[in-house]
Amino acid sequence: MIVIDDDLWSAVGDPTRRRMLDKLLLDGGGTATSLSGHLPVTRQAVSKHLDVLDRAGLVHATAIGREKRYRVDDAQLSRAVAQLSSVGATWDARLRRIKKIAEAIQNSPLPKKEGNDHG
Amino acid sequence: MEYGTIEREVHIDASPEVVFDVISSPEHIRDWWSAETGIERVAGSTSELTWRDEASGRVDVVPITVIDVEPPHVFSFRWTHGPDETATPSNSLLVTFELTPSGAGTVLRLTETGFRERGWDIAVLEEAYREHVAGWDFYLPRIAERAVRQVAAP
Repeated sequence: MIVIDDDLWSAVGDPTRRRMLDKLLLDGGGTATSLSGHLPVTRQAVSKHLDVLDRAGLVHATAIGREKRYRVDDAQLSRAVAQLSSVGATWDARLRRIKKIAEAIQNSPLPKKEGNDHG
Repeated sequence: MEYGTIEREVHIDASPEVVFDVISSPEHIRDWWSAETGIERVAGSTSELTWRDEASGRVDVVPITVIDVEPPHVFSFRWTHGPDETATPSNSLLVTFELTPSGAGTVLRLTETGFRERGWDIAVLEEAYREHVAGWDFYLPRIAERAVRQVAAP
């Protein structure tokens, strides 16, 4: 099963934060100021988003002068991606098992309650 | 397209009665979901889904509440609400199985809703994933690339 991590999910669930992550990955890191130059949001808003990402462990900050420089945590981002893809994928796997089990029962030689008229 | 929903459809070469039994009985849920549960096929029945990992000793427990039981047509339940919470649209995900006879078999339709209500916005993410648009299709290759670089570094 997937254990859904609420903080991680809500952190990557926001489109602005996804764009920030993308930019940070592309540039190998960045500050609130550098990010706000590329996004249609204020530096203050970027700072708040960075706090959310930080709390979810998706980025790590190091102080450089008066500003903090952020880098993406690859391992944590991988986890988020894995959870994302498993949301749909796990149901595919479960449905495959449901299909297999039901068809095995249908084809079993044991008597069934309903008519059995395989052609 | 409704981004707040996961939708799947699968054809099964078994009667709706058999399929209904598989999706709704604890005996079979153990097989296809690897979870122990005590749910009964009655609307309002509450129980838990329990996963035990023998190797690590880890136990995961998730509440489940049966919502609708119409054999052999509909089976739905809510899950992922908090322990001791009553399942509501704002604290749980709703899974609905709909069964339609098709030839000698059954079309089983699954929907899972409630992501948006929980504020997760997973639906948007899933859509992005499925359609390979902005965002996620960048991350995976980049992570892979970086991993390869790290491995290749002397």
